[in-house]
Amino acid sequence: MTRILKNRWVDYAILGLSVFLIFCLIFDAYIQLPNLVAWLGRWHPLILHFPIVLLLIAVFLGLTGKKVPDELLVVAVLSALVTAISGFFLGKETPVKGDLLYWHQWLGGGVALVASLWYVLANRGLSGTMYTKMLQVVMVGLVVVTGHYGGMVTHGEEFLALPTNKKEKEIPENPVIYADVVTTILDDKCVSCHNPNKKKGVLLMTNLEELLKGGESGQTLIPGDPIKSQLISRLHLPTEDEEHMPPEGKAPLTQNEIEILERWVALGASDTLRFSQLPESEPLVALIKGLKEPDAESKWASLPVVADSTLKNLSNDYLTIERMAANSNALSIDVFSPPEYIAAPIIAMNRIAANIVELDLSGLPIGSAEMDFVAKCQNLEWLEVDKTPVTDAEVEKLENLKNLRLLKIYETPVTDKSISVFKQLGSLKSLYVWNTKLSNEALENLKNENSGLVINLGIDPEIETFFVARDSVAVAK
Amino acid sequence: MKEEEKNNENPLKVNRRHFFSQLSVGIGSLALGSLLIPDLFKGGGAQPLAQQPLGIPHFAPKAKRVIYLFQAGGPSQFESFDYKPTLKKRMGEDLPESIRNGQRLTGMTSGQDKFPLMPSATNFKQYGQSGAWVSDYFPHIAKIADEITVVKSMHTDAINHDPAITFFQTGSQISGRPSMGSWMSYGLGSENKNLPSFVVLTSRGKGNSQGLYSKLWSSGFLDSKHQGVMLRSGKNPVLYLNDPDGISRSDKRHLLNEVSQLNKMHHVETGDDEIESRIAQYEMAYRMQMSVPDVMDISKEPESIVKLYGEDCQVPGTFAANALQARRLAENGVRFIQLYHQGWDQHAKLPTAMANQAKDVDQASAALVMDLKQRGMLEDTLVVWGGEFGRTNFCQGKFDPKDFGRDHHPRAFSIWMAGGGIKPGLNYGKTDEFGYNIVENPVHVHDFHATIMHAMGLDHEQMTYKYQGRRFRLTDVAGNVIKDLLA
Repeated sequence: MTRILKNRWVDYAILGLSVFLIFCLIFDAYIQLPNLVAWLGRWHPLILHFPIVLLLIAVFLGLTGKKVPDELLVVAVLSALVTAISGFFLGKETPVKGDLLYWHQWLGGGVALVASLWYVLANRGLSGTMYTKMLQVVMVGLVVVTGHYGGMVTHGEEFLALPTNKKEKEIPENPVIYADVVTTILDDKCVSCHNPNKKKGVLLMTNLEELLKGGESGQTLIPGDPIKSQLISRLHLPTEDEEHMPPEGKAPLTQNEIEILERWVALGASDTLRFSQLPESEPLVALIKGLKEPDAESKWASLPVVADSTLKNLSNDYLTIERMAANSNALSIDVFSPPEYIAAPIIAMNRIAANIVELDLSGLPIGSAEMDFVAKCQNLEWLEVDKTPVTDAEVEKLENLKNLRLLKIYETPVTDKSISVFKQLGSLKSLYVWNTKLSNEALENLKNENSGLVINLGIDPEIETFFVARDSVAVAK
Repeated sequence: MKEEEKNNENPLKVNRRHFFSQLSVGIGSLALGSLLIPDLFKGGGAQPLAQQPLGIPHFAPKAKRVIYLFQAGGPSQFESFDYKPTLKKRMGEDLPESIRNGQRLTGMTSGQDKFPLMPSATNFKQYGQSGAWVSDYFPHIAKIADEITVVKSMHTDAINHDPAITFFQTGSQISGRPSMGSWMSYGLGSENKNLPSFVVLTSRGKGNSQGLYSKLWSSGFLDSKHQGVMLRSGKNPVLYLNDPDGISRSDKRHLLNEVSQLNKMHHVETGDDEIESRIAQYEMAYRMQMSVPDVMDISKEPESIVKLYGEDCQVPGTFAANALQARRLAENGVRFIQLYHQGWDQHAKLPTAMANQAKDVDQASAALVMDLKQRGMLEDTLVVWGGEFGRTNFCQGKFDPKDFGRDHHPRAFSIWMAGGGIKPGLNYGKTDEFGYNIVENPVHVHDFHATIMHAMGLDHEQMTYKYQGRRFRLTDVAGNVIKDLLA
């Protein structure tokens, strides 16, 4: 197993690069790079892939007892050194290195130097020994950890975190506009590049002082002047524009988010302003209210996938299935009265029950079989069973529809017995119950338990009287 | 799918533009493609231009359907929703040039050497919690002031009826573009397969009327199945829909099956997509033979509803009857229901004529909103009420506050909307003290279209149709969604 790499130039190159790398790492603070050399740093994200792959292949061969080809090892070691050095150059672009970058730099240096050591060992004919094997194991660990830190530097610390259940920061009842709303947007969309580790454009967006200080291209934030503030103006540039933020490939801000930032800047970019201090006419009020309610589409994102062909098979001339929005698996169902009614097409939708968020069965002669199906539509938000023969016994089946927001059940024979079911529908906001046998006391009682509920009892009698009595128009004078 | 591909290969479907555009891309990609992927051209073939999925909103909509109560002729804002006491104070004074500011006039007043300010022919009061100003001509609408949102800052580009109404309906003053309802039908598809997705109902008041033409509900360059279907009052709501005596429904079915086969053959031969539309239309008509009489039959409406809309609603062809019909169509899943009420062109005799016009529509319009509300339909149905432009604050013809006229005015006028994702009880926009120019929150016709499309879940910039070499939109190259109006 002894083998000696003959080419002395390779020895010199590896030695030279290793020494240069150590020099760089040690004298980091004193080094100032000429422009051209700094530019070489930009190649780091490209070439870094080579040592990762080559070293891992080499380790795999080594640990499985196979011969590591000389050429492979040489190229792997050289690429590791070049990557580490170019990475060091790239790192110099960041004026103050944060924790992530600090670790990435030293670990990356470590990878390159351990690789050089491996080369030396191999050169000495110690390839198969315990030392080399240990070194190879260390190498794998170093490559993984370095790569992980590097990934976090580029894509942000959250990028590789496990997807938590939409860790949407809850907005408090009376939020501080800056701390609870603005920073959430910035953290989400800006901070992955403008943080102490990356500090793109010499701009930190992690706190208000730094925002006010601005970056290399001038003033980021001018309180009261959203047009001159680059924080806002760059968001409005066309996406193809070089200056547009966030840059291509990163998630852009939503229209809502842009408007929130804009209004916050226009109002003076205060870090103490609270929601309750805003006048009702201020657009920010509506924007923030909008944030508090989870938007429908993100709510539906977790629904099971349903194919167009399934929808086509289940629908017919009297049963329309529509997606709530393009690419959404939330469905809206309208059933119209066919010449001869049968329940089968409705019951057949069992397999897509979880996808149904809106269901219109109004005016149909439905019975308990259909209501059993309705009860399975766990994600139902909108249900129309008005002008049907449903009774209390069938309404009872609805008690588990926790997402139900709107229920139309007017012109049905339901009675006060159903009130206890309505009470269990925690999300219910609108209830249409005129022309039923429900008593006013029972509804009053329901209203007391669910203060957000609007109960519609038909047209206000006062308006109705007015309409019936006054079938004429004031004559011109 | 196979058949579709075959149709797309039909040589008659390739015109000169397609030929050259495909040729230029073709040669380049052929060279490159064959180098990189030798099998690239062995099958499959280019897919048609990536298209936006149709029949599905871009995002979750607030409104699923629209009822547009179009007041054709241009109702005066000074006798409806824009209260201007200054006109009374300065009655008879000439409109200051600084206010008119070069506004063009129609041929009807361009000859006038004086433009004497004319106050409202009726009185105004504030109503509801919103404090909306409504004239005495509209007592029922006044009563429901908190349900509606009045936009007092509408403006348009056109000054004469035909271009103005065409502009409102199609987004262009020149006819030929698809109507709003057709765009909605194209973008959102049909909710009920037994009824057209775009239905038109017309009525006519006693006032001075201008023509209504079917081009206003034409589908333009869109597939003709998106065209508005006009339902008539009387025995035959849709002309030629009923079978002749002696033809049974099963005979008809048999006939349609055979005709459809012939049509399909013809389609394969010529590749003309209109043939497919024709097939679809025959089927639709067959189903409408059942569904239309049912939906048009208002005899089952209870007494309380008849009283709500006014006794007129039992007289076919009146605005009230159409308004009630509109609710029934909306319940049955018609996407876009367009009513027109003619007779709002008060160049003369405004006080009497306008009062009569208002009497035609006031109660039924308000009743429709309340009826939709009690059925929970205001939550997903957008009602719009308005004309194609407003009227001048100065008098046309002889100055007589008891009997005068007003000319067309495009710079500022009022409309109202209710339900379907629009904030209720809002007074949006403001005109100057003369009611002549907008001073706050102008809403252009394009903005109006963009906002309605937004409520319907459509992005007005994304929904396009390529025709004659360029992509068209309802809002063409303009329009902003008026976010302040949206709930």
